[in-house]
Amino acid sequence: MNKFRENPVQRTLFYIILSIIIVYLLFPFYWAVNSSLKSESQLSMTPATFIPKDPATNNVSIYWKNYKGVFANGSFVRGLFNSLIVATSTTVLALTAGSFAAFALGKLRFKGKKPSLYIILAMTMFPQVTVLSGLYAIINLLNLGALFSMILTYMLFTLPFTTWVLTSFFRELPIEIMQSAQVDGATPFQTFRMILLPLTAPALVTTGLLSFIAAWNEYLFALTFTSIDPSARTVPVAIQYFSGEFARQEPFGEIMAAAVVVTIPIVILVLIFQKRIVAGLTAGAVKG
Amino acid sequence: MKKGLTVLLVVGLLFTISLNIFAQDDIELTIAGGAVGEELQLTQKAAEIFEEKHPGVSVEVLSTPDLANDRLGLYLQFLEAESPNVDVYQVDVIWPGDLAQHFLDLYEYGAEEVADEHFQAIVENNTVDGKLVAMPWFTDAGLLYYRQDLLDKYDLELPETWEELERAAKTIQTGERAAGNQDFWGFVWQGNAYEGLTCDALEWIHSNGGGTIVNSDKEITIYNEKAVAAVEMAGNWVGHISPPGVTGMAEEDARKVWEAGNAAFMRNWPYAYSLGNQEGKVIAGKYDVAPLPAGDSGNGSATLGGWNLAASKYSDNPKWAAKLALFMAGEEVQKLRATEGSFNPTIKDLYEDEDVLKANPFFGKLYDVFTNAVARPSTQTAPQYNQTSELFFQAVHNVLTGEEDADSALAYLELDLQDLLDYPIAD
Amino acid sequence: MSRNNSSDLAKEEQRLAYKLLIPAFLILIIIAIYPLGQVFYSSFTDREFASSKETSFIGLQNYDKLLSLTIKKLPAEIDEETGQKIINPDTGKVEYENPIRVLPRKPYLYRPLQEFNLFGNRYVIGSADTDFIKSLYNTLVFTIVSVLLETILGLGIALVVNSEFKGRGMMRAVMLVPWAVITVVSARMWEWMFEPSRIGLFNMLFEKIGLTEGNTAFLSMSEYQLPSLIAVDVWKTTPFMALLILAGLQLIPNELYEAAEVDGANKVKQFFNITLPLLKPSLAVALIFRTLDALRVFDVFQVMLAQKRYSMASYNYFQLISGRNMGMASAIGVIIFILIFVFALLYIKVLGVETE
Repeated sequence: MNKFRENPVQRTLFYIILSIIIVYLLFPFYWAVNSSLKSESQLSMTPATFIPKDPATNNVSIYWKNYKGVFANGSFVRGLFNSLIVATSTTVLALTAGSFAAFALGKLRFKGKKPSLYIILAMTMFPQVTVLSGLYAIINLLNLGALFSMILTYMLFTLPFTTWVLTSFFRELPIEIMQSAQVDGATPFQTFRMILLPLTAPALVTTGLLSFIAAWNEYLFALTFTSIDPSARTVPVAIQYFSGEFARQEPFGEIMAAAVVVTIPIVILVLIFQKRIVAGLTAGAVKG
Repeated sequence: MKKGLTVLLVVGLLFTISLNIFAQDDIELTIAGGAVGEELQLTQKAAEIFEEKHPGVSVEVLSTPDLANDRLGLYLQFLEAESPNVDVYQVDVIWPGDLAQHFLDLYEYGAEEVADEHFQAIVENNTVDGKLVAMPWFTDAGLLYYRQDLLDKYDLELPETWEELERAAKTIQTGERAAGNQDFWGFVWQGNAYEGLTCDALEWIHSNGGGTIVNSDKEITIYNEKAVAAVEMAGNWVGHISPPGVTGMAEEDARKVWEAGNAAFMRNWPYAYSLGNQEGKVIAGKYDVAPLPAGDSGNGSATLGGWNLAASKYSDNPKWAAKLALFMAGEEVQKLRATEGSFNPTIKDLYEDEDVLKANPFFGKLYDVFTNAVARPSTQTAPQYNQTSELFFQAVHNVLTGEEDADSALAYLELDLQDLLDYPIAD
Repeated sequence: MSRNNSSDLAKEEQRLAYKLLIPAFLILIIIAIYPLGQVFYSSFTDREFASSKETSFIGLQNYDKLLSLTIKKLPAEIDEETGQKIINPDTGKVEYENPIRVLPRKPYLYRPLQEFNLFGNRYVIGSADTDFIKSLYNTLVFTIVSVLLETILGLGIALVVNSEFKGRGMMRAVMLVPWAVITVVSARMWEWMFEPSRIGLFNMLFEKIGLTEGNTAFLSMSEYQLPSLIAVDVWKTTPFMALLILAGLQLIPNELYEAAEVDGANKVKQFFNITLPLLKPSLAVALIFRTLDALRVFDVFQVMLAQKRYSMASYNYFQLISGRNMGMASAIGVIIFILIFVFALLYIKVLGVETE
């Protein structure tokens, strides 16, 4: 699969496909960057320009004020921090509880496995809007802080996800690994911790990243649970609270600037973890 | 990983406790209002004045999302939970009817004395079953923006009827296109299928003598000749003097076309006035505002917008909540907001106030527009206004996109409204 | 090993399994039981949201109203003088009665959904809640098309990224950019590109290459609405699929390919004989969660189409927030729930995922 570079035609073809993919994935984002560097009157220019230009002279003219505005906005900077706390805690919690459950569901024999799987999946099958008012009642009852409320309620969509994905990965691992570990005198839990977890690193990193981003992007729950406590607002909410000088005026350039800024931490995060995505099963490990 | 979990639990717990510690003062009031930069600051300023006047009372300003729908969603969560967390709510002019049951009757808290100072139309709009559920705070109404320089260039008068507008728009559009601006259009407005279209369409219909969809006697009036003609007229604008894309435009989209210098006329709210005059804008200093053109009724109509203040029934201190609402909507604060933030007051006298007029020279012209503004039928259709409006703007939108003709769209609408509201059809 | 011993082991294994499941179930019980129960319960009532009105139990009435359909024959219009069918002089076709006069008005007002011809007669399908039936249709089309495209594209991207080339670490990060853009903002970003004049990217491009005059209201013309939204969703969520598939690819041992290479199987054969079958379990899980999200799609519809065209979830939102019909909204929630369950079962059966 991986050794395709036998001839130059294939090689060229490969790089053409690669470039198309990159353009497809990045162009809309480029357009956001482009828009974030335009002032209001540059944004309303017809036709739209691929690089920010001055409406009068048509020379390139880059407008940085949107970025200044974003960083001068205290609630946005605090929002970044809140989002980081919420998304990290959510991911850790979902991965911990999820991998425990997935180990049981994927590798252990017990009664009620099928119902357990379906019940866990069922938790996430309602649209968020539908369960919102019920959740809000629970949150009020438990009287948790806004940050903790978000972390807990985000389990509703991250936990079933991590559980299911990890279960499918554990199931794929050859049973021989566990057996040989047991022969060596390891308890099932030790096997899980010392052998299975490292082997499923790609799955853990993948589900972790996806859950992290899902929590990072969540808006509706965050809006509702932080409504009374503005200091706990996460980034998506903070961006929705961006406003112009006047009601109805939408500071579109600033919103785009914020979107760009917010995407960067995620890209860094992926760069840190990306090696792990593909460094899972090695041939030796499978043979045990 | 277990350690992480414990830390998390502890952090959560601490957070909860810290929240509870702060919850003690003599009287603490919260007002939920706009998130917009200046709007928020002015509300905070007014809150401080209130605190100075009443020692022992502290007022917190809670910013809420600028999108009306998100804000409503949030309020409903509070109200459903009968939450005492918010004492005073900033409510859209179309909400009092729907939400009346959650608010105090301000007449019982001394609003009687001041109600007459405010615009009659808004007070009526906010009165549900004889109870004043919200104090008018600031108002809004549809205006006609026009390019004085282009009227001069083509030697045209400011249009006073829709027909004149159509002719003037066409003349300018043809001229500007010939001069090389292919993106130029005569008239832009809000034609997207949303609440904004309800506002625009109500203006066409009402100014043409076609009523207000549902009248104040709770009769459905929408299916009449005048209304059909008005909607038909707007349908003909699309692709003619207005871009085909107008069927996808909201306030901000129209403003962008306008500010790029690509439109001769625009229907919009007062907010666009100061924005267009900012430094670097192509149209700065070239335009002015006027009342919207008239139809067969002989008068132009502007849809009433704006925000009001309501005191929550679930407040721990209802008396203070009402007092705060009345203070905020009072002359002192409204004047502050008008001079420092261009918020259109709802108190009539302020339109003759020197300081206010000095800060906003165009306010004087708006007085007549505001006093005659037409309210959307939100109070008489409560609690079904949102659905009424949805049916209405979808019917109109279908005409604008050419999917239906005006006559059958309004005929269907009449039946739909009858089913939804169970009101009789007016003769 | 003796029989006794192994059953002891089995018991121990079972106990461990239950212990491991405790955290997940505990969390879910705390946050999910009440809200979910409440949704099921209120779907059988006429409860109003944020209202002091008495709530009463109305059985299946909400479901009945949402799902009621009827088919009626449309009579041709008859000219009173001649007794002949009226033929439209412009189109040359027979004129039929306006559906609204034919469709029943009790117990609900039926509105026309679709007209069709069969055996020379004209019929109309009426629905008591056309917005809902349409939202169901929109959601299904949206789900099927976007999930299909995302799977194909995701698979392609995963295979490319899985190859060895310079800068593939960077590529893995690039791959995730669309998924990383905050959903609410990405919808606004695309809305901006779809702007109905040449300040929008697409109108500018299409005008430049001479396709249109640059004034297309993509989000207002019904024929462009779903394709536009699908384009947004495919861009946004293909990375989700690609990443999950990429992780699944890691589970396939390289030896299998090496062996196939020795047997002389070409790349295409290897893909269909090794990659695809071994990818099935991870693909199934990815599909389940992708479909589940697509069926509940809310943000893109809410931001870009709002009340012009609904998805089931955005109609649900409208019913709850603007209409305050909590009972009705809950019923919609339950219908979405059931649909998702059906899809999940389908994937599990078709792709042969073990659940035991």
